[in-house]
Amino acid sequence: MSQTFTLPDVGEGLTEAEIVSWRVQVGDTVAVNDIVCEIETAKSLVELPIPFAGTVDELVAAEGDTVEVGQPLIRIRDAAGADDDAGDDAGGADGAARAAAEDESATRDSGAQDSEAQDAAAQDSAAPGAATQDPAAPGAATQGAAAQPAAETSERPAADSPIVEDSDQQALVGSGPKADAAKHRPRLRPTELDLVEVSDLDPPTPAAPAAGLQAGDIAEMVAKASPPVRALAKRLGVAVWDLVGSGRNGQITRADVERQAQQRSGQGKAGRSRAAGAAAPGPHGGLPSQTGLLYDGPREEKVQVRGVRKATALNVSASASTVPHVSVFKEIDVSRTMDLRRRLRDQPEYQDVSVSPLLFAAKAIIWAVRRHPQVNASWHETHYTLRNYVNLGIAAATPRGLVVPVIHEAHTYSTLGLAAAITELTSDAREGRTTPAEMQGGTISITNIGPLGLDLGTPILPPGQAAIVVLGAVRTKPWVVEGQVVPRQVMTVGGSFDHRLIDGDLAGAFISDVAAVLEEPGLLLD
Amino acid sequence: MGDVVQLLTENGELREDEVYSRYVEELDDAALRDLYRHMALERRVDAEATSLQRQGQLALWAPALGQEAAQVGTIAALKPTDRVFPTYREHAMALYRGISPEELMATFRAARHTGWDPHTYHFNNYAVVLASQTLHAAGWAMGIVQDQRTGTLDPDQPADEIVLACLGDGASSQGDAHESMVFASSYQLPLLYFIQNNHWAISVPSSTQSPAPLVRRAYGYGFTGVQVDGNDVLASYAVARHCAEQIREGSGPQLIESITYRLGAHTTADDPTKYRSAEEVEVWRAKDPIARCRSWLQAEQKADETFFEETDAEADELAAELRRAVLEMEPIDLERVFDTVYAEPHRQVEVEKAWLKDYEAGFAEEEGR
Repeated sequence: MSQTFTLPDVGEGLTEAEIVSWRVQVGDTVAVNDIVCEIETAKSLVELPIPFAGTVDELVAAEGDTVEVGQPLIRIRDAAGADDDAGDDAGGADGAARAAAEDESATRDSGAQDSEAQDAAAQDSAAPGAATQDPAAPGAATQGAAAQPAAETSERPAADSPIVEDSDQQALVGSGPKADAAKHRPRLRPTELDLVEVSDLDPPTPAAPAAGLQAGDIAEMVAKASPPVRALAKRLGVAVWDLVGSGRNGQITRADVERQAQQRSGQGKAGRSRAAGAAAPGPHGGLPSQTGLLYDGPREEKVQVRGVRKATALNVSASASTVPHVSVFKEIDVSRTMDLRRRLRDQPEYQDVSVSPLLFAAKAIIWAVRRHPQVNASWHETHYTLRNYVNLGIAAATPRGLVVPVIHEAHTYSTLGLAAAITELTSDAREGRTTPAEMQGGTISITNIGPLGLDLGTPILPPGQAAIVVLGAVRTKPWVVEGQVVPRQVMTVGGSFDHRLIDGDLAGAFISDVAAVLEEPGLLLD
Repeated sequence: MGDVVQLLTENGELREDEVYSRYVEELDDAALRDLYRHMALERRVDAEATSLQRQGQLALWAPALGQEAAQVGTIAALKPTDRVFPTYREHAMALYRGISPEELMATFRAARHTGWDPHTYHFNNYAVVLASQTLHAAGWAMGIVQDQRTGTLDPDQPADEIVLACLGDGASSQGDAHESMVFASSYQLPLLYFIQNNHWAISVPSSTQSPAPLVRRAYGYGFTGVQVDGNDVLASYAVARHCAEQIREGSGPQLIESITYRLGAHTTADDPTKYRSAEEVEVWRAKDPIARCRSWLQAEQKADETFFEETDAEADELAAELRRAVLEMEPIDLERVFDTVYAEPHRQVEVEKAWLKDYEAGFAEEEGR
């Protein structure tokens, strides 16, 4: 017999998690509470202990998969399960588990993606061998509902629910009444708050929530939409409580709100919503002219957004939509910096660290921040906070996506120390070893687009920061020195700034100071 | 104010203290072993509860890992009839008072509003609203004083009952804590404030909550306070005994700031690696209260290996019993939740109950069902 461990809500109200790593393989023996995998939720990295003892039968989800709460993760075969016979009508947990195992495999065979069916199967402790293909079996429905702590409790006869048998199969989902059996079922209609006539009761002293606004306020509080979606609805003037959520658990999604807004304003303009960027071309197999496609693959492909991509999307949308960005640039001669770089590289102590333009730019930023403290600040509407220290964020493109690890107290580092810190930080980032703590607390950031062969860019500010410096590629270009055109090493340095706090003149003065140091690194000797 | 009271050093050596040593000297070996036993049992229960949450069987858990000595030492110093007003993390105290792991878990599984009758154990229900329990404690203590004054004290209740108000460094910033201490002082209440300064209020360090030691607050309100090494079970016991005795003799309120450390997460919904360094945790792991007590008991030959093995076995049994009990718990009856808000029918509650029913009924039927 096998028992299935489904993904629980390990936080409060989490809906999904990504499998970071498995600590066990099929065939391994596990004891209760052995750690079997590490998952990453929206909140944290969490190790999951297994609630059963036995042998690992199947890892249902692969590393990197995003799994919804309530979906199966791993199946464990009981060590003493050899004597098992599907025909047995043994009661108790054994029977439940056996039924669950069989039902689940049946469900899987049918290829059903429907997690509700799987849930029901996992909970079903009805007669072993009950066919899950026939979910109408009354046992399935009753047991499924009964095992859910919050599901229509009042209508359930207390006696017919052997909770014991189910409960060790069944994870609590959510931390309150939301954890109902119907979590995967779509909503048919919204629920109005003011739907009951209780005229025999005294009306409340303040006006009954009949006045539209008041009812709306309360309804909004109970609408199943996350705060960002509510904010979006508010911005687009959509009554979020009127919507029927299409998301998981009946949640109202961004798409629901946008669709409603679009429908209301006639229809969306054709061509406006062209895909922002197609997936990278795959291997060029068939001739494009024959398939009518650009490359091998489906005509349209839905790619799940998760992990770093998701976090990046949230951060940049929040930043771009709330912070008025202003950008300035300056083209400069960095030949002296490049000379210095060569000389430093020859020093024995610099052998193991990367001496890049980024290092000098970091030093230049710290130097320039001393002269213009206001760029190293964060805006809070009624006030702003000046930071008398530099926690330098360094944007790094990694296989997982864009991460911005932070060198804390960067102003306290020597040049060699800073070089070592940058080297370590970027290699950690590329290998995905950057911890959440290392990405917190940045006060000002730098992004180096030179290695991409680019000269100019307008980066989006990381949350809570007022300035990000962008470095272009260093190129040998004609440059006028004392009336003569000579080849010099030239780059563009610039940055984006929070205009609420930093006007063009301050942004310009700051970038000019950064530029001055890169043109004459000797300034750092002060 | 003086220094932080410590009797058992981090190396497991016993120190002499003019005021406090005598309380420990009164304890025989069996009593000393029992302090260890209670700490060890709670730690095992705590680990099982954490696992159960990770397995989806508890909605939430607030680990007490690292704070066992502070809690066990303090509760052991009180009489079983002294009323305790806990936060939501006083698991070692609750177990010490005889509350079963099952009763302790009911709320964390969202199966009941509370798992135990506070009057049975003289141990109030957990308070999740920070510092609210300090007001309840002050109110209870005012009741004692009034009963004594009017001669209406419950005959079953000892005349020298005192009240323990538990709070943390984070709750110390709440207005409720301030009000409670003002009333405790004004009415000279038989109230002992027990602040477990575990260094972190979720992600806010105690240095931010209070740049000055929390113990000094007592003096601002006009009573005395003492700082104790909360990872030293002997000092925690002795200091609480001393304070309790003084309060029973009519000193008025007192305050203990127990310096300890939350080794685990704030709750299972928290990831402490986001705000504190592994190095810091290691420093405190080296001060582990249970390991310290164990090595002292061994060195002094107050406990043999059999005792530790038996304690571990007892802890494992308790954990297994806890797991069994949690898995068998009946879900909460939502109808009853609504019906017990007010004694009489209430329009808003009726509306909300009807809303929930309508909401539950508003899902698409599963095909074939």
